[in-house]
Amino acid sequence: MIKFIFKAILRDKNRSLLPVMIISIGVFLTIFFSGFLGGMMGDIVDQTARFETGHVKIMSKAYAENKDQLPNDLALLNADSLTKALKTEYPDFDWVQRIKFGGIVDAPDGNGDSKGQGAASGLAIDFLSGNDSEIKRLNIESSMVSGHIPENKQEALIGHILAENLKLSIGDTITFMGTTMYGSMTFTNYIISGTVRFGVAAMDRGTVVVDITAAKNFLDMNDAASEILGYDNAGIYSDDRAKTITDSFNAKYTNSTDEYAPIMLRLKDQNSMGTYLDLVDVASGIFVSIFIIIMSIVLWNTGLIAGLRRYQEFGIRLALGEEKGHIYRTLLLEAVLVGVIGSVIGTIIGVTATLLMQVYGIDISGMMDGGTMIMPTVIRAKFSYNLLYLGFIPGLVAMVLGNLLSGLAIYKRQTATLFKELEV
Amino acid sequence: MKSILTMALIPVIITSMLNFPDAGEIIEKVDKNMRAKTQIMESKMIIHGKRNEREVVSKSYSEGTSKSFTEYLSPEREKGTKMLKLDDKLWIYSPETDRTIQLSGHMLKQSVMGSDLSYEDMMENRKLTEMYDAKVIAEETIDGRKTWVLELNAKVVDVPYHKRKMWIDQERFVPLKEELYAKSGQLLKKTTLSNIKQIGNRWFPMKVNYKDMLNDGKGTDYILIDVKFDETIPEYIFSKASLKK
Amino acid sequence: MRIAFQLAYKNLMGAGLRTWLNAGVLSFAFVVMIFFNGLIDGWNQQASIDGVNWDYGNGHLLNNEYDPFDPFSIENGHGILPKDKQKDLSSVLIRAATIYPDGRMMSAQLKGIDANQTVVKIPTDLLLKSDAEIPAVIGERMANSAKLEVGDQVLVRWRDQNGTFDAANITIVGIFETNVPSVDGGQIWISIEKLWTMTGLENHVSYFIANDNYTSGNIEGWNFETQESFLAEQAKIINMKKTSGAIMYLVLLAIGLLAIFDTQVLSIFRRQKEIGTYIALGMTRFQVVRLFTAEGSMYSLFAAVLGSLYGIPLLWYFAVKGITFPISGDSVGIIMANTMYPIYGIGLVLGTILLVIISATIVSFLPARKIAKMDPVQALKGKIQ
Repeated sequence: MIKFIFKAILRDKNRSLLPVMIISIGVFLTIFFSGFLGGMMGDIVDQTARFETGHVKIMSKAYAENKDQLPNDLALLNADSLTKALKTEYPDFDWVQRIKFGGIVDAPDGNGDSKGQGAASGLAIDFLSGNDSEIKRLNIESSMVSGHIPENKQEALIGHILAENLKLSIGDTITFMGTTMYGSMTFTNYIISGTVRFGVAAMDRGTVVVDITAAKNFLDMNDAASEILGYDNAGIYSDDRAKTITDSFNAKYTNSTDEYAPIMLRLKDQNSMGTYLDLVDVASGIFVSIFIIIMSIVLWNTGLIAGLRRYQEFGIRLALGEEKGHIYRTLLLEAVLVGVIGSVIGTIIGVTATLLMQVYGIDISGMMDGGTMIMPTVIRAKFSYNLLYLGFIPGLVAMVLGNLLSGLAIYKRQTATLFKELEV
Repeated sequence: MKSILTMALIPVIITSMLNFPDAGEIIEKVDKNMRAKTQIMESKMIIHGKRNEREVVSKSYSEGTSKSFTEYLSPEREKGTKMLKLDDKLWIYSPETDRTIQLSGHMLKQSVMGSDLSYEDMMENRKLTEMYDAKVIAEETIDGRKTWVLELNAKVVDVPYHKRKMWIDQERFVPLKEELYAKSGQLLKKTTLSNIKQIGNRWFPMKVNYKDMLNDGKGTDYILIDVKFDETIPEYIFSKASLKK
Repeated sequence: MRIAFQLAYKNLMGAGLRTWLNAGVLSFAFVVMIFFNGLIDGWNQQASIDGVNWDYGNGHLLNNEYDPFDPFSIENGHGILPKDKQKDLSSVLIRAATIYPDGRMMSAQLKGIDANQTVVKIPTDLLLKSDAEIPAVIGERMANSAKLEVGDQVLVRWRDQNGTFDAANITIVGIFETNVPSVDGGQIWISIEKLWTMTGLENHVSYFIANDNYTSGNIEGWNFETQESFLAEQAKIINMKKTSGAIMYLVLLAIGLLAIFDTQVLSIFRRQKEIGTYIALGMTRFQVVRLFTAEGSMYSLFAAVLGSLYGIPLLWYFAVKGITFPISGDSVGIIMANTMYPIYGIGLVLGTILLVIISATIVSFLPARKIAKMDPVQALKGKIQ
């Protein structure tokens, strides 16, 4: 039976092509819209996570209390073994160390004297371990103005305005003066490998991005780190998952009176993100439901039309003696099949588009004269598993509902009027 | 009435002036003890951090108050760092960068190797008597030693500390304690000198504790390992070229 | 043409529910479009207003040596501007300081501001009213990070013009709430006269905040940074958000258009007899195409009407009540209010209506083109073509 109907659908373009097309488009739009909305609303969350909070963040308790001041003297010790333990214990997250530090950049002239100085802040991330997750996460490649990503410990990226102000070009050496974890003045040389646009004037004018191993050495922070950030390998923030590991991690230190004991915070606990996350959930929930209702109306309409346009055919089939119930059942079965086919096609296209939008995004950096690191210039969608079934609600349910209603007309039809329908 | 009061007060003032020696003389005697034409010192700085204690060993050469050269010997990370002070200029050489950088302005306010001392604190060339009006205001006993308490008030404007108080050992003319005050009278820093040893014909404190009074913390101990006075220091030591050696 | 619209109107009204479904969907796209753009415009405007009210004024007249982005320029970045040139200007002097809340050390900027000023909203009147030795007002972020409350005293250490250390307790007499991070974090506002006596830098100023009457001229040693240049960067960042919004409502619009397209295809299919009749009655094919196109585009007009029915009260509500986003733009230094109030400009509303009408007309025209290829006789007979 299904095989028979299936053949009918395939052979009759009127029955198949248009409804399938419209359902596919509708389902595609639903999925893409939901994914896109998720990406857009999550934009700020995502940006905060990438730059500030991680999905979870570990600091020493003392550091956490004064974190506005970047108190590296309160940093976590034994950070490497801690990171290693985290990696084995919670492999679902990517664990990375970061250090932020302040200092002064001094640009030497040909004689080694100073040709210019400026206040600077340093950001140390993992460039060299072979894991390029941080480079991607901080959007470094697309925010480069010139040069290349650091390939060794000596190389650094600097804000493009800082480079202009100090008249520095790629390959030049700068001396960074800072303060070690223990308060000593410390010096190191970096070779500028590239300039980068953060998109925020203060950072463009004074930020130096370096590899973390070099920075640790420079700041006397071997085996120490100010922050260990955890990023869910799923790519997006899930509060449940974050809460699970945060609870399990912090349980180990609840009895510790050491003010430097590590403490893990979820994204939700930091930067007043909690309320925002709740808002995002509610708002996108409302939006997606409204959208699904609208889509259902449109596709119900399609189902209705698909039934209506076949009244003539039903007339002939009734005249040939086919039972009304049988016609109705085949109509619905067809609708289910068309709905499923359309929804599957739509879902495939929609999910693909969403994933493409998540991975590649739409680059609007042209509007910002070039990519920036802080303000994302790439608009992205966000894939979530509910997208896989979301499209079936308008696609299948609405289609079947439409046919269900329009098909009722079959029962109303008098055999007497059939010939009128058959009029040539 | 007024005149009677003045008459009555005069003897009081006179006696107090008679009891306390002239502050200028005391400072001169202290200078004789503490200062030399040249000094070569090896010292250990113990920095009591919040989380750990660090020791930094250095050797320094100085001539008068305007020239000094310091080389750090340990720990490993500071080894080879050199500092040269000529008058009001300070250069620092770091072996990792192989660069000599002149510290100026804001950088002088940084702490020396994480201690409670700033580079600026080390930059003062002038004699105390050039900057302050001194007077003896009291007599106190510290750890069994009788001291004169001197109050020094700035007589020039460009001094970092508006007022100082010094406790000078009455017999050995070595300061045992010093307090540095802000213009408002707020106590900012405190220096405690101890372990006074006789070296040749002078008395010298072998241990000094510097403490920033606004901060929590135990301050920084400065312990002399070895000190030599009035030895000839070759002139090339006090040149920028010696930093890179 | 008029007849086409009259007919189209009658046909649509006759179709009843389905018409309203299509129009409803389209109207939603309308409302969302206007709302979202209005929200961004509102944010932008509010950020501008906040920026102007709290920090920029009508622009800043900065001492040449002072660079707001370079904290080290504070030391020497100040000077004396002759009194006769200070008309419509409020003075600010910045000095580096260290504060010691609970024995911790924190660097801060002491900002002396003309306590009688009214050009920015920093509550300097509190400085005038207080009897405290050194009354100060700070922003909420500063209060949080230094853990200070109104009435608290905190020790501040600074240097006078000769570098001599001075230290005293300041009294927090007010904590202000602002969306503008540039007047908040790490800053302590006191009266400029107090700061002058504290530092001995009488009449020295780092920068002036201009009021609306100020006309900038060339003043040796000083630079005028206009209000516009302060606002430009902010606007650029905010407008980026518009693009992502655009994608969202274009998808919405696409759905509305899909509904129209769908309906058009069906109606042309079902109404072949009608089409034949029109032609038989003497309409040209082109006129019939126009009729059907008019029908389609009329959905957008209906949508506009329908949209205004529920959209106007809804958008009005949001514009009055605002929408609360409990998040701050601190980390990147952009001004972002907790509650944003959308604003809907005429241009925005008209532009949106135009966009929807034009796109609706296009999608109605596409299936209607088929009519031109129809054989009127067959059509009249209702033969499927």
